[in-house]
Amino acid sequence: MRPLLALVRKEITVLFGSPMAYLSLTLVVLVTALIFFDHLRLYNQILFLYASSTLGGFETGTVPDYINLRDSVFFPVMDTLGITLIGVVPLVTMRVFAEERARGTDEFLVTTHLSAGQIVLAKFAVTYFFVALMMAASFVYPAMAIHQGGIGAENLLAIFLGLLLHAIALASIGLACSAFASSQLVAAVAGWAVGFVLWDFGWASPFLGQTANRFLDAISLHLRYGSFAEGIVSLANLAYFVGLALVAAAVARFSFDWRRVAG
Amino acid sequence: MDVISARRTATEAEAHRSGVRIAAKGLTRRFGRHTALDRLDLEIEPGEAFGLLGANGAGKTTFIRLLTGYLVPSAGDLTVDGLSPAREFKAVRQRIGFVAETLRLYPDLRVRSFLRFAAGARNLAGAPLRSAIDEALARFELVDLADRLIGHLSKGLQQRVSLAQAFLADPPLVIVDEPTIGLDPVQQEEVRAVLRGLRGRRTLVVCTHDLGEARDLTDRVAILYRGRLVALGPTSEVLGAGDALPLFRGDEGARR
Repeated sequence: MRPLLALVRKEITVLFGSPMAYLSLTLVVLVTALIFFDHLRLYNQILFLYASSTLGGFETGTVPDYINLRDSVFFPVMDTLGITLIGVVPLVTMRVFAEERARGTDEFLVTTHLSAGQIVLAKFAVTYFFVALMMAASFVYPAMAIHQGGIGAENLLAIFLGLLLHAIALASIGLACSAFASSQLVAAVAGWAVGFVLWDFGWASPFLGQTANRFLDAISLHLRYGSFAEGIVSLANLAYFVGLALVAAAVARFSFDWRRVAG
Repeated sequence: MDVISARRTATEAEAHRSGVRIAAKGLTRRFGRHTALDRLDLEIEPGEAFGLLGANGAGKTTFIRLLTGYLVPSAGDLTVDGLSPAREFKAVRQRIGFVAETLRLYPDLRVRSFLRFAAGARNLAGAPLRSAIDEALARFELVDLADRLIGHLSKGLQQRVSLAQAFLADPPLVIVDEPTIGLDPVQQEEVRAVLRGLRGRRTLVVCTHDLGEARDLTDRVAILYRGRLVALGPTSEVLGAGDALPLFRGDEGARR
């Protein structure tokens, strides 16, 4: 246990000792703000058009039900944020294992009392913590919309949970890629590629049969994440994200054995 | 011989025997079609200062990586005190202090933080951890540099940090890979002085291609050429005062 805690402490020190952590946090907050205020501006313009229309604006009930903060601002923001994270999260995860190998410090790690499982566990835990921090920071603006837009606080937790699980899934994919890559760039590109492919398989549906499409829908990140964004927490979706994280951790763990044999 | 002298001699002999025994038999490591280490037979005695010599690509680093359990052998056996680094790596790691080539450290960590991590990762905690760190800082003259970032230190000082971490848990086996590569003459002498002080008290495996360093630090040497053992014996005999370069070129006719 001591070696594990020592590695966790070291990972936190290295993470927050590098500018990448602060840059990633700032980037996520800025991008979220940009996406949010852009949608809010559009929403206000639509409202203004209705309000200033010759039909009498709000008083005559001419603003359709679907023009509301939830559907016009909140959901599109969450959807765009989901895709944005595919681009941002691999920037955080790319260095975690690949940097150790590039510096040769992985050789130092194996001469300590740390097992490969402990190394994977510590690195995954610290990355998850940082990703959770990123999501909390990015959730500030959408949360303001919730406050103003009539989305009940009961949905807030489900939506944040979805965002967090989506980011953690992307982090898990990025970490697995980093565990197999010797270069940070390769790790990032692989993380982006796998993230984008898993995001939505809609493009493949015309070419595949019903069974294959059903399977691809089952492993699609977008559909699982979208379900949370609507405030629905299902056990199947939770199991999907937990399973994805476990598979990624097993892949990262396997990379240690593979390297001992392959060199 | 009086009783005190006899006891002292016995203690010194015991100290001399401390360390681990390393045995390699038919040790082979392949990377695809390339054979990095080819049927190596080798024994290193407890307390011995052993030099592993050879040109670049001779297989020295591969042997060290097999010894630390970083790699597994393709064939043959390698044991540390009868334990296999490939299978019983946890027990073997408890016996190892490893000094890699210069700069294989964490540049974003401060010296004390790095030593705290290295000690914690070797299962030290509380007072023993603090005392091990303080001792290491004092022994390797790093006290004034304890709060400096490793990345801001010179190569020589970084190598001292690397040495300091290797001795934190007082391991019976110290493996040093190219200890003075990239260091200036003053820094080289500093590092050699530290390693010289270890002779006889632990098993010391020094991997180098510097003949002077091998003569200075080791009791016995092995010379590898393209993964094969071309010379093995006491340093004074193998390297002697003559030209050892033919051995580095794999000329077995020059074998001593």
